[in-house]
Amino acid sequence: MFAGFHTMLRSAGLQVGLTEWLALVEALDAGIVEPSLRSFYDVSRSLVCRDEGDYDRFDQAFVAYFEGADLPPGLKDKLKAWLSKPIERPALSEEELAKLQELDLDALRKLFEERLAEQTERHDGGDKWIGTGGKSPFGQGGQHPTGMRVGEGAKGRGSAVAAARARRFRNYRSDRVLDTRAISVAIRRLRRLERKSRRIELDVDETVRKTARSDDLVIVERPERRNQARVVLMMDSGGSMEPHTRLVEQFFSALKNGGGLREVETYYFHNCVYNKVFSDMERFVGKDVDDICRSVPPNTHLFMVGDAWMGPYELLAPYGSLEMVTSDKTPGIDRLLQLAKAFPKSVWINPIPENYWHAETIAQTREVMDMVPMTVEGIVEAVSALLGRGPKRDHREPVPMWTRDGVH
Amino acid sequence: MTDSFHRWNGTDSYIADDALAAAVNVATALQRPLLVKGEPGTGKTLLAHAIAEGLGMELFTWHVKSTTRAQDGCWVYDAVARLQDSRFGDRDVRDVSQYIELGPLGRAFSSDQRAVLLIDEIDKADIEFPNDLLHELDAMRFVITETGEEVKAKHRPVVIITSNAEKELPDAFLRRCVFHYIDFPDEDRLAQICRVHHPEVDDKLLAAALRRFMALRSVKHLRKKPTTSELVDWISGLRLAGIDPEKLQTTLPFAGVLLKDESDAQKAAKAGAADGSGGESGGGSGSASGGGWRGWR
Ligand SMILES: Nc1ncnc2c1ncn2[C@@H]1O[C@H](COP(=O)(O)OP(=O)(O)OP(=O)(O)O)[C@@H](O)[C@H]1O
Ligand SMILES: [Mg+2]
Repeated sequence: MFAGFHTMLRSAGLQVGLTEWLALVEALDAGIVEPSLRSFYDVSRSLVCRDEGDYDRFDQAFVAYFEGADLPPGLKDKLKAWLSKPIERPALSEEELAKLQELDLDALRKLFEERLAEQTERHDGGDKWIGTGGKSPFGQGGQHPTGMRVGEGAKGRGSAVAAARARRFRNYRSDRVLDTRAISVAIRRLRRLERKSRRIELDVDETVRKTARSDDLVIVERPERRNQARVVLMMDSGGSMEPHTRLVEQFFSALKNGGGLREVETYYFHNCVYNKVFSDMERFVGKDVDDICRSVPPNTHLFMVGDAWMGPYELLAPYGSLEMVTSDKTPGIDRLLQLAKAFPKSVWINPIPENYWHAETIAQTREVMDMVPMTVEGIVEAVSALLGRGPKRDHREPVPMWTRDGVH
Repeated sequence: MTDSFHRWNGTDSYIADDALAAAVNVATALQRPLLVKGEPGTGKTLLAHAIAEGLGMELFTWHVKSTTRAQDGCWVYDAVARLQDSRFGDRDVRDVSQYIELGPLGRAFSSDQRAVLLIDEIDKADIEFPNDLLHELDAMRFVITETGEEVKAKHRPVVIITSNAEKELPDAFLRRCVFHYIDFPDEDRLAQICRVHHPEVDDKLLAAALRRFMALRSVKHLRKKPTTSELVDWISGLRLAGIDPEKLQTTLPFAGVLLKDESDAQKAAKAGAADGSGGESGGGSGSASGGGWRGWR
């Protein structure tokens, strides 16, 4: 029957393999699991989940499986049945299968049964193994004479199923949209390490080694290895971006801290790019787009981050900007085109899910720049495209599907 | 596995719930690292101290920085001092071992008793750090390359790893850890925590302070939500200044302790969770006419 729980966990999207299963058996064997479903919940969750995003999946699987089974007595049978039915085969990798064969499963099972019997007995007989009620489990000169402060009163000890059903961790799930590590790893692929830097560094290890072996000081130098890749990042800070703040901040920190890039130059804009972009959006300190486009260093990638969701005139009309400071005769779409031309390596990263990309201004923006969703896959795809390994569209003049009536 | 494992349950000065205690006990019994995540100020760092205290073990702290390499935790070789000595010193520079100093991991390994090793803020380090660390943690031994000396763990330390980041760690690493996420405490637990730090606090003041604090935390889109430690500090301030609990209903003294970011203070004021002058909201925006793009601003 417990194989069912295992299956349930897996179908909820958790990676439960032999390692986790064995760990659970080991935990039971070590006497950590008290004969209550709540304790089983806590212990198994700590072994099965790898981040808080997993908690909700775990809760769902747990409820689905244990609903109505909130009583300890049945637990023993279930655990036994579970152990008698090793996990279905396809779930195991070669390596795990080999491991499984090495194990004496019967011995394990027996050990486990004994443990469980012992625990239940002790539990019924008194409080010995749980160690509450004034008997300090540490037994060291009454350091904690009243036992610990855990689980005081009824409040802390809700039923496992009720706790799981509350699904308090539901909102952590969306966090997984962006896996900052995966992004850092992806961005690192942009790295261009070269020892041709003019800067020379002291090779401390070699210097010491040589000096220790000779009578004189021997200085060893070498050219510094430096990552030559740079990124210019332009981020929309407009109002419609507010819900995506966290996502964008995560992306930004992954790029800035994890990417190991030589330089990340950051600018902000509001809804669309016009004549100026800003390093400080509140005080409107910034740089002319013309200046930025005039001198693009080699190995520079342009990352645009924004929802590209705005009023059509903001994108297409002369003087389309909502801000006075960026009042610009050139329509936003032409500014985007200017950027796409100046930066042969550019990509637009959009936090809005792809199924909304048919929206007018998003579709038009995509005509000018490659767009990827702000997800791990999206960014991996973007990096591949930037490195020239993926499908890359050439930037052509936008077809005049939005007529500009010669105002320009 | 022996029966010698001690159940940990929190301490007098550290409030732990059942789930956290279970995770700690799983980690100590199974001798696996415990990875603890949670918002700032949820007691991740303090947990390692509480475990050491509760289990009567020595604590070794390894505070990770962006430049930290896995090897630094094992040992540090002071090449520069050696170079210095080779020129001007009177120490015998041929004896490399004088220039080797064990790091926290090395010291935890060589400790005669089982110890607690805290690897704090692992997410701060370079992205390769966890993978490099895995090797030492798995093997429980390392060789100091300069001297060829092997350092082997006499007892597997209880390893506590903390992280703030979403998911900065490689799967291979996560698979070896017991995981626990410290959820932000609810009001009751917060009250318990506050009482630990302020045993004498007036019930009314605590209740009033908690209400304001929870209201602040519920303001949407704050850059930095106030944390438990800020609440504890804030209550210190309120008590020192002898603030009347009644007054807390209308004013927010020492608001700067709770909201450090200027734009957050404004957001909170707007939401009515903090007092402030910028009360006006929404500058008469012309009604957006037209199709599906309404509300893009
Ligand atoms: N469970 C708790 N019991 C007692 N005090 C607590 C608890 N949780 C938090 N605190 C208080 O909050 C303070 C901050 O805790 P700590 O420094 O351990 O947080 P942290 O999670 O490590 O934060 P950061 O992520 O910023 O490093 C503690 O010094 C203590 O005053
Ligand atoms: Mg900390």
